[in-house]
Amino acid sequence: MLKNRPTLAYIVGRAGWYAVTFFVAITVNFFLPRLGDANPVDTIMAKVSEGLDATSAKAKEEAYLKEFDLVEVDPTGKVKRDAQGKPVRTSLGHQFVNYLGMSVRFDLGSSILQHPKRVSEIIKAALPWTLALQLPTIVLGWLIGNGLGALAAYRRGVFDKLMYPLALLASAVPAFCFGMLLVYVFGIRLEWFPAVGGYDDGLTPELSFAFFRSASYYYVLPFASVFSIVVGGQAIGMRSMCIYELGTDYVKYAKLLGITESKILFYMFRNAMLPQLTGLALALGTMVAGALIAEMIFSYPGLGMAVLTAIQGNDYPLISGCTLLVTVCVLCANFSVDVLVGFLDPRIRAARQTGK
Amino acid sequence: MRLLKQLLKSPFFVLGAGLFLLTLSIGLLGPSFTNVDVNTRAGLAYMPPSAKHWLGTDHMGVDMISMLVAGLRSSLYVGFLAGTVATSVGTLIGLYGGYKGGLIDDVLTVGTNLFLVIPSLIVLILLSASVENGRSLTLIALIIGCTTWTWSARAVRAQAASLRNRDHVALARINGFGTLGIVFFHIMPYLLSYIFMVFILQMAAGILSEASLSMLGLGPYDSVSLGKILNEAKTNEALTDGAWWAFAPAMVLITTIVFSLYIINTSLEGVFNPRLRK
Amino acid sequence: MIDARRARHSRAICSTSSARLAVLGKRAAGALGLGLLLLGLADCRPNRAQEDDKGSVFPRTETFYLGGRQWGEPSTFNPIGTPGWPISTMNLLYETLLMYNSLDGRMQPLLAESYAVHDDSVEVTLNAAARWNDGQPVSAWDVTFTFGLGQRFKSLNIAPIWQYLASVRAYDKDGREAPEANAGQDYPRRVVFALNPEKKNPLVVLDALQAQIIVPRHVIEPLLAERHNDLDEFKKLKFEHGAVSSGPYRLFSSSSEKIAVVRDDDYWGNVALHGGKKPAPKYIVHPLYKSNDAFSVALRQGRLDLSTTFVPRIWLKAEKGVRSWLDREPYFLSSSIPMLLVNHKRAPLMDVHLRRAMAFAINYDDIRELSVSGYSEPLRPGIILPFGLERRFFSEEDAQKYGTWFDPARAKAELAAGGYTSVFGPRGELVETRDRDGKRVPTLYVKSPTGWTDWESIVRVAVKSMRAAGIDVRERFVETSLFWNALYEGDFDLIMHTPSTQPSPSKPWSRFEALLTSRDFVPLGQRMYKNIGRFNDPHAPGYDPRIDELLALIPTLTDDAVRLPAYRELNALFMREQPYLPLVYRPDTFYEFSIKHWANLPSAANPYLPPLIPGDRLGTNMLWSITPVSN
Repeated sequence: MLKNRPTLAYIVGRAGWYAVTFFVAITVNFFLPRLGDANPVDTIMAKVSEGLDATSAKAKEEAYLKEFDLVEVDPTGKVKRDAQGKPVRTSLGHQFVNYLGMSVRFDLGSSILQHPKRVSEIIKAALPWTLALQLPTIVLGWLIGNGLGALAAYRRGVFDKLMYPLALLASAVPAFCFGMLLVYVFGIRLEWFPAVGGYDDGLTPELSFAFFRSASYYYVLPFASVFSIVVGGQAIGMRSMCIYELGTDYVKYAKLLGITESKILFYMFRNAMLPQLTGLALALGTMVAGALIAEMIFSYPGLGMAVLTAIQGNDYPLISGCTLLVTVCVLCANFSVDVLVGFLDPRIRAARQTGK
Repeated sequence: MRLLKQLLKSPFFVLGAGLFLLTLSIGLLGPSFTNVDVNTRAGLAYMPPSAKHWLGTDHMGVDMISMLVAGLRSSLYVGFLAGTVATSVGTLIGLYGGYKGGLIDDVLTVGTNLFLVIPSLIVLILLSASVENGRSLTLIALIIGCTTWTWSARAVRAQAASLRNRDHVALARINGFGTLGIVFFHIMPYLLSYIFMVFILQMAAGILSEASLSMLGLGPYDSVSLGKILNEAKTNEALTDGAWWAFAPAMVLITTIVFSLYIINTSLEGVFNPRLRK
Repeated sequence: MIDARRARHSRAICSTSSARLAVLGKRAAGALGLGLLLLGLADCRPNRAQEDDKGSVFPRTETFYLGGRQWGEPSTFNPIGTPGWPISTMNLLYETLLMYNSLDGRMQPLLAESYAVHDDSVEVTLNAAARWNDGQPVSAWDVTFTFGLGQRFKSLNIAPIWQYLASVRAYDKDGREAPEANAGQDYPRRVVFALNPEKKNPLVVLDALQAQIIVPRHVIEPLLAERHNDLDEFKKLKFEHGAVSSGPYRLFSSSSEKIAVVRDDDYWGNVALHGGKKPAPKYIVHPLYKSNDAFSVALRQGRLDLSTTFVPRIWLKAEKGVRSWLDREPYFLSSSIPMLLVNHKRAPLMDVHLRRAMAFAINYDDIRELSVSGYSEPLRPGIILPFGLERRFFSEEDAQKYGTWFDPARAKAELAAGGYTSVFGPRGELVETRDRDGKRVPTLYVKSPTGWTDWESIVRVAVKSMRAAGIDVRERFVETSLFWNALYEGDFDLIMHTPSTQPSPSKPWSRFEALLTSRDFVPLGQRMYKNIGRFNDPHAPGYDPRIDELLALIPTLTDDAVRLPAYRELNALFMREQPYLPLVYRPDTFYEFSIKHWANLPSAANPYLPPLIPGDRLGTNMLWSITPVSN
């Protein structure tokens, strides 16, 4: 069946590779945070054990270890002990199997630092803010950046000479530099926009006009800090691609043939767009990592800051949960782009049909 | 050297190379001109620019110019090392996979995708948590290099794949050259210009990555870097107190380096790829 | 030539479509710009949205914003367990029996209307008007139940006090013990804390009386019983809505950006303690910003009314309406002493000459000016604060005779007395230190957690000045979790630590105990929470029993005539031995506020209350005295 449907074969093939990548990634995702020396229970103990004597402290520590499945328990729920009376720690392999089982049920465990909050709760609460900040920024930036780049490729002249270095500069400024600059100039010096927060302190998130108005007001600076960089990067890329395409033989031939301009443009854009699409997919996939810095500078609610504090506190479940999310995003994005490109790029279609 | 002459004709290249050489010379020759001492408290915290301290002092009272020169040196070092590592690893993998094709190529591609997926942030934290001696510049550079090579691998692989079926390669194979020999003597020379461009971009990316990591507070323990200067400006509230000398020069430096590298790259592209020259 | 024509031709063709593109691009850019402009014009100043009460859940004149007590969203509001703000050590929802005033050293009433310290017990009488918000009276059984939890569950924070207590019992007004909980009007209001005769220490008990929140027995006991007395299961209850508490506020909302509490107009204390007045703010909101500097920005903008975060260079914010406790140096009241703990089990740190050399070598003024923005009185020798309530225990004569201060010449003299020689390099930098046998002394490392900027700064200054005097030390910054392990297990040469924080009735005794006690002494590798540097090992030959004698004696003394000499002797012992290196004075909680929206907050010019934030013990009382600023 698959032999007669090369498209389906292609999709299934790519899906297969991605599945393998995903499994290896989830393994790495689990083991890396746990290879460090520090035990997160020690961090909690340090916070809560001041003033306790030795026996109370030990009881507390064992309670926590049991909570996080870091020690073996017998069927009655009591902690198993070895010959010296110390609790038996669960082996790493055992923990991994438990982890796989839980992930399939979308249960990512409970956070260690924010115990007893579940990781999925934390992610669910914070994710919308990250998405709200990054998604429109990147998509809009991509669209406008490509538009500007294409425009510059056409009009060469003054517009190009002006836009090109500007776009290059915009993409060269690191996101946090620009963010800090915006905070300083517009938030602190001129006080035109708020410097910290996601919405007004006097409001709570709800479906009301006042809330959305306030949220949009607080949205401007974080948006601007990421937007200009995306625009800059995309514009440059698109400009080079368009210039390249403009000089290709098929475009010249088509023009000489007298084919309508819009048709030529259509094919040209489609060819120039392909690598840009890949770029978009990558950007969307690494959203959370990029969100980290913007959220830190603007004290913006979202997943980024949660991940950073989790990393600094060795909060394994939250780290694993978030990196798993990023992994899934990246892989899905890449997969969908591969499929999309497979449809749009005739070279790949041809390669499929004739065999690699 | 005809190449060099061609490059010098492009105003972009002159601008970019000039800026880069300027920052490089500040970094390399700076210590010979000013006394670079990042440990001495030379004045009060956040003193504004004056005759004695041209760019004021930072939160510890250290002369800002010393900090900037030291930071510049560190950032350039990290960029260079990370760029070299990333380019070498990426090029080797890309060349090998691109030339061989088939199963090896597929395996390497999957491996490349894998590395794409692991956030370099995680690796850095884990290593810093388990190594008591903490993060040094070299360690950070190596990690950045080892996690960002994927881009150059992909780029080089595409180019190598297109060269695979050229006549001179087939000739070399007939003559009995091994894989390594073909890759190094018959494919790579054609890609040298491309690899060099890739190196420039990897270096820029390395500098940006290090600055971002330092900004998050995950920078080197004992050394000063430009990202660390910015991070300390933020946490010590230079922004709120209007101490622009504590962060604006560092920002300008980072942007200038990366910008100049980008310009160099574009002008190189313009020279090597004639179609873009129009 | 042909190329030029082709180029012109393609440009001509492109011009029409490029015109279209240009229009599209311009339209898009225009739309975006317009949108941004509209957004910008919608609210020109960040404060406007706050002052515009339409649609705002928290009207500005009725809301008090405070910060610095909670980082990250609290995971639970269960009063037993590890809750966040506003439960942990706060009395906005649940209340303590008494409140300590660090300005005059007296205990103010809260749930208890009076207390008495006897020779073998501490007695407390509850206020007859004290009520839970479900109408039930707060009785002596609630107190015995709360403290009794420490006996039943060894992992609770109330557990350690039981080594000093023999029993906690409820008595009715006739003096008869009332063990069973009866319904009715005659509930017992007297609680007697019988002291452990082998470890008599009323100071520690007083500490607990002003630190431990009382929980409702009639609510908690059934819940515990339901869960078969399994504390872990009980701790899973979140207590988010409708919790039974006795305090003036109730939980209103909680998210990852802010926590809000709302006034309970039926609070019993309004009539019983404040003459019928209600607290002025209807809401108290704690925004959860991600970093210290965000709190500073909010203070400047008037979005925050009071904060306990560290704000550097506070004098620069004065023009924006930000004030601190004092309006000139040191701006805040210090109450604790960050110091370098020395590991007495590692050579050559057991040598008192080396320790005293270090103490003479550190530039304390630099630390004070650079690392803590000048927020500290100049450091004096010993660990008794030379100001405030502790001043009467401080002996200037002893300080001159036994103490240490910044004096590099004497540092070098102490090194010489210990037989050490320092080798300096050609540029004046220290190469190494050698002991009396000529062997190289290994480099000693000072540990401090990464990211704690003021500590990092302190450590750097200290290391630098010690190296200048010829002592081979270096900084070593470690990840926070590794730091705590190293601290308690004794895995360090020198390490930063602030022992015994919080102003409390047991100061300065508890500071001495936290540093010098030889009780619970364990070898390196096991955890020790007091005397972490393992000074004065009771199993080692050099053990001095006088220190532990004094530590056991002082809490039982009631008369200053005997107390003063005892403290003096203890402090002199500390100065002579210099087991640890005090570095600077520091407030436990900072205290800075904005005058833009609320007036009449306590300050040095208006010290009707100590510098504490509402919710932190006595600080809560300011809520009945502050008034909103009318615009």
